[in-house]
Amino acid sequence: MNYIKSLFILVIAGLTACAPKVAKETTTATAPSGDFRSMAPDAGPARQVKIGTSHQFTLANGLRVIVVENHKLPQISYQLTIDRDEMMEKEKAGLAGISGSLLATGTTKNTKAEIDEAVDYIGANLSTGPTGGFASSLTKHTDKVLTLFSDVILKPAFLEAEFDKIKTQTLSGLQTEKDDPNAISGNVSRALTYGASHPYGEITNESTVSNISLEDCKNYYNTYFKPGNAYLVIVGDINPDAAKAKAEKYFGSWAAGKTPEYEYAFPKAVDNTAVAFVDKSGAVQSVINITYPLDMKPGSPDVIPARVLNTILGSGFSGRLFLNLREDKAYTYGAYSSLDADELVGSFSANASVRNEVTDSAITQFLLEIEKLRTEPVSKKELDLAKSFIAGGFARSLESPQTVAGFALNIDMYDLPADYYETYLQRLAAVTIEDVSRVAKKYITPSKARIVIVGNKDEVMNKLNAFDKEDGKIQLYDIYANPRKEESTAEVTLNASEIVENYLTALGGRQKLDDVKSIDQTYSMEVQGTPITSRVVQESGKFYMAMSAQGMNIMKQIYDGEKGVVEQMGQQAPIEGDDLTSLKEQSAFLIERMYNTIGYTTEVKGMEDVDGVACYKLLVTKPSGAKSTEYYDKSSNLKIKEVQTSITQGQTSTLTYEYADYKSVDGILIPHTLTIGGMMPVPLVMKATSIKVNEEVDPSLFKI
Amino acid sequence: MRYLFTFLAFALVTGTSLYGQMNKISFEQYTLDNGLHVILHQDKTTPIVAVSVMYHVGSKNENPERTGFAHFFEHLMFEGSANIERGEFDNYVQNAGGTLNANTTFDRTYYYEVLPSNQLGLGLWLESERMLHARVDEKGIETQREVVKEERRQRIDNQPYGSILEETFKRSYAVHPYRWPVIGSMAHLEAAEENDYKQFYTDFYVPNNAVLSIAGDIDIAEAKMYIEKYFAGIPKSAKAVYRPRVIEPALAAEIRDTIYDNIQLPAVIQAYRIPAQGTKDYYAVDMVSRILSSGESSRLYRALVDEQQKALFVGNFPLALEDPGVSLSFGITNMGVDVYELEQAIDAEVTKVQNELITEKEFGKLRNQIESEYVTSNSRVAGIAESLATYHMFYGDANLINNEIDRYLAVTREDIQAAAKKYLVKNNRVTLHYLPKSQENKS
Repeated sequence: MNYIKSLFILVIAGLTACAPKVAKETTTATAPSGDFRSMAPDAGPARQVKIGTSHQFTLANGLRVIVVENHKLPQISYQLTIDRDEMMEKEKAGLAGISGSLLATGTTKNTKAEIDEAVDYIGANLSTGPTGGFASSLTKHTDKVLTLFSDVILKPAFLEAEFDKIKTQTLSGLQTEKDDPNAISGNVSRALTYGASHPYGEITNESTVSNISLEDCKNYYNTYFKPGNAYLVIVGDINPDAAKAKAEKYFGSWAAGKTPEYEYAFPKAVDNTAVAFVDKSGAVQSVINITYPLDMKPGSPDVIPARVLNTILGSGFSGRLFLNLREDKAYTYGAYSSLDADELVGSFSANASVRNEVTDSAITQFLLEIEKLRTEPVSKKELDLAKSFIAGGFARSLESPQTVAGFALNIDMYDLPADYYETYLQRLAAVTIEDVSRVAKKYITPSKARIVIVGNKDEVMNKLNAFDKEDGKIQLYDIYANPRKEESTAEVTLNASEIVENYLTALGGRQKLDDVKSIDQTYSMEVQGTPITSRVVQESGKFYMAMSAQGMNIMKQIYDGEKGVVEQMGQQAPIEGDDLTSLKEQSAFLIERMYNTIGYTTEVKGMEDVDGVACYKLLVTKPSGAKSTEYYDKSSNLKIKEVQTSITQGQTSTLTYEYADYKSVDGILIPHTLTIGGMMPVPLVMKATSIKVNEEVDPSLFKI
Repeated sequence: MRYLFTFLAFALVTGTSLYGQMNKISFEQYTLDNGLHVILHQDKTTPIVAVSVMYHVGSKNENPERTGFAHFFEHLMFEGSANIERGEFDNYVQNAGGTLNANTTFDRTYYYEVLPSNQLGLGLWLESERMLHARVDEKGIETQREVVKEERRQRIDNQPYGSILEETFKRSYAVHPYRWPVIGSMAHLEAAEENDYKQFYTDFYVPNNAVLSIAGDIDIAEAKMYIEKYFAGIPKSAKAVYRPRVIEPALAAEIRDTIYDNIQLPAVIQAYRIPAQGTKDYYAVDMVSRILSSGESSRLYRALVDEQQKALFVGNFPLALEDPGVSLSFGITNMGVDVYELEQAIDAEVTKVQNELITEKEFGKLRNQIESEYVTSNSRVAGIAESLATYHMFYGDANLINNEIDRYLAVTREDIQAAAKKYLVKNNRVTLHYLPKSQENKS
């Protein structure tokens, strides 16, 4: 899973703090004297860049094999790539990924544990994915690793237990993405750019993953794992004859076949620049992505000039975006762009993470740079710099034999001329300022762009309306790119106190509520299959809460009117400070009755739909500064949702309470289903099993 | 010797040379009169060269009132020099078709360029300018201060689990300078004055505190000529370079704490204090970590991810540092799994390593993995240049690039068990639970 890899990198990378550094003016160094230091030394004669050779052949079943021989290290790698058409996963988004992972978790010969053991025993690598797999080992273990690789590709077992495991891991992985602003930005940008009817625009979420069955995975494998569309790329310490023998031995028995072909309409871009916003409460930076689809295919004569163009704008440490947004304005740690060719839909993206307060200024600079690139010719100096940068990267990439193999694969997959890479540097050298202007006019189209922002809505969003040229309004989306309605205060005629008063009346009226001296509630819930019981007792400013599972006490909180304690795992600790204040608040039955008298402020924030129900939205601020947003059903006046936000060290976090299933207990309406989101990865659903009002309570409950 | 024998047998079978198979890195090294240590490795396969300078200064050399300085300095060291205008440093490299970057750790700061091999002279000129008379103006300082703050926001504050190392290290060390993070305090950076910069540069950016390591398509005589020309005249520092000699006392007992972060899945971190890199026990601790988490058949992965499905991710990583460091166990719970449950399950696997000698088979697997890793490392000149510099600076022996594996292969099964018993114990660790912010105030 990508995520796991990135975590590992995070742990390791966290040790080092990197910082490329460059500067901004583009003046040349001068040579004031005969001092040998005053000028850079001249370059020596350049050595020619040579691309290594590759060998290709096709097996009888249609599998195309590319071999790059390189004996520098006693190691061989095998990359299997299935060049299938992009496919729609629809309500089963995530299917290809799960199917691909499943292959390496058991074959008709071995369990996952056996495969892992065998791979690790020889210090090899083996992995599978939605469109193939990868294996590598020291030369001396060639047959062992190829046996394993061939088995996982040709003889996967599709075990139910492994499937369930991968599904759970996928769901857990999705949970972790919810707090990753870059993952959110990527998902929402793709969904908006390509649309739901294009394979690039599909988003995997909890419900699509839940829809996937083991049978679906088998079908996926049977449909798409076909040698007729596959390449086996062998690189390393092996000669072409030996490679051919190995390919035949290990993949020759793969039954011939081809994958289905699909076509898709080109996605429609916006007519005018539009701003899309995803709220991430507590964010200290905004992730900005300015993006749109474009039509440029690999091998097009535009590809190289477009690469030069993008290098000038946003590649490396000398790109205009980097020099402007980082080196001049210091808005960001790095600002970059990409302009990618693709067989179906290419794309442009310009992106950076910037601190909240400069979000609007950063967008302004992005748009200025993009517009300048579109309308003004680049300088000769920038052109040369970009060409050197690309040529240098090309030469350095040849240090890895995998690069040569990648070239051969691209030539075949994209039908490029056989000498495409041999002549790459010549064609790069021939790019002119006019070429760059031409591709700039063609592919730099900011009026078709969406500006996707993932950030702190309260701190950032109100300054962004001007960037939206569609209607001057910002469209809010959730993290899966579903539109959210923005609140407006215009439609509300009631004031905050009236809304709260109507609520109290709907519950049974102030009089009845004030008469409540004690309330003893028991809820049942399930946490990961374990039934848990929770009892909450409030009596005259005292509070008791206990959670137990199978008769065992898990956690207890008591407030005796002055002091509070928490007891967990058999250990007791006092509750103090803000926590105590919060506990004190919980001891009061229906604190809404006292909003006006204990220093709470309330403010109407308009109307907003909650699951299709029109609600009044109220922002409630406690004396401590903690805020909650409350939603009162317009027709029933009942509170159906509450979002509590707490701020710690400048960062906010959120808990969501949903109240449903209101039933009368002694003439008072009390919700019998309480759903709490944000506390655990899955929402916690609590169902009332007993609610007793004004019955005698054992005073020892509140003993500390 | 068993390792060599394996290779010998292998060489006989395939008929290729032993040295070719081992990718032995040959190199030449010498020290200039000003103390600059030079290491040269020639590899003409690709017409590129990596030019690097490693300075023996990291965050641990900082004044506790000016933390983050080593890393901040790394940003400033691209600003220019007496002969290089602001902004030109990178342009020189890019115009030549090269790439450059730098990074800072607790122990050292590392700068490098990878250039077409005919531009070796340029790389050496640039690095000598940086060492002799780097120049920074007010605009550069102000800009980089803000950039570093953005770096912190992006990598730590806005990143789920981004603060793990910072939170772990500040509890693992009470007196040693590893207690503050490499990126340091933003307030300290604000407070810095001109004299602080001058002093830091004079103290640490001196030839007798650096290793110049070059790998790639070079002509040795030409390289030496350039090095003499550009580096020989750089004066060494008048006084000894400051090296903290802080002995961190052992933890008296386990330190436990809870961190609330913008995350969805709780995580557990256990940081065990371990010996410094290069020591005999360090290798044993490293082997323990491989048993626990190298590959999907490793103990933590198999038990917790595959069998019990308590973890989405779990691993143990020893951090090799110049002074005694930590070995970090890190696990993220699978959905709905309690963080205590995961912690107990990790502990159970560690206990097994302590109580039972690993089998010959598992030991064989470990050695095979090390062999594979060793044989296939050093495939790029940039990595070779850095490894040579690291081995010289911290181990005093650049040739460890070729034979550090012997130190691993000298570790016995008993050593592994003993290391687990000695270091991976409760009293020697900091344990942190990372919980979603929403659980704060909700205990």
